[in-house]
Amino acid sequence: MNEERRKILDMLARGKITADEAEKLLDAVGDPGTGAAAETDTAVRRSWKYLRIQVEPGPNSEEDERVNIRVPFKLIRAGLKFAAFIPREAHDKVNKAFREKGMDIDLARITPQDLEEIVSNLDDMTIEVDGKDKVRIFCE
Amino acid sequence: MLPLLVRFKVKEPGRRGFGLWFPVILIWIILAALMLVLLPFVLLAALITIWRGPGLKLLLVYPLLAAVLWHLGGLTIDVGQKEKALLIDFI
Repeated sequence: MNEERRKILDMLARGKITADEAEKLLDAVGDPGTGAAAETDTAVRRSWKYLRIQVEPGPNSEEDERVNIRVPFKLIRAGLKFAAFIPREAHDKVNKAFREKGMDIDLARITPQDLEEIVSNLDDMTIEVDGKDKVRIFCE
Repeated sequence: MLPLLVRFKVKEPGRRGFGLWFPVILIWIILAALMLVLLPFVLLAALITIWRGPGLKLLLVYPLLAAVLWHLGGLTIDVGQKEKALLIDFI
């Protein structure tokens, strides 16, 4: 039990606050189990090493295509650092291509920290697409 | 981890497929020697262009390239169709 919860329960025991007030305060400081669970979840996510992309033929697939790609996260991070070598002239072309696709992104404004944030949040991503083929993108 | 082996597997329709285990460490040794030979030229280019060009960025090429190669281990690309298949696996 953390210090804040103990203090609230102590105040309730002494009659300084009502049960309703104690309940509200306990809600405000949060559930201790949630914090521990979040820490465990973060630890599991940090241990993920690979980004996996799997495409498997669905029941109606005629092509019978299958793809199984496994990319180490460290390789993605190392590769993204090469973005610093993209020449300024190429930025304009890439920005134009983004705008044509409806995305107003200025490549010159993307910092290495932004890229790092994108990669670190990739492990939250699980995409499953069921069409002709079954596509799965996940971390392991 | 730096991959020491790479596994290739290619299969095409109407042809006999082939598989290959290649000691990719040989490539790294050759590449390291090449990079060492080129290092003075890279340093010179970095010095010349330090005020009005890529300059310091050139010096980053070596550590960045080393980082990419070092983390290639575990990369697997396995693509296939009915009679076609391609596998590249860095081990």
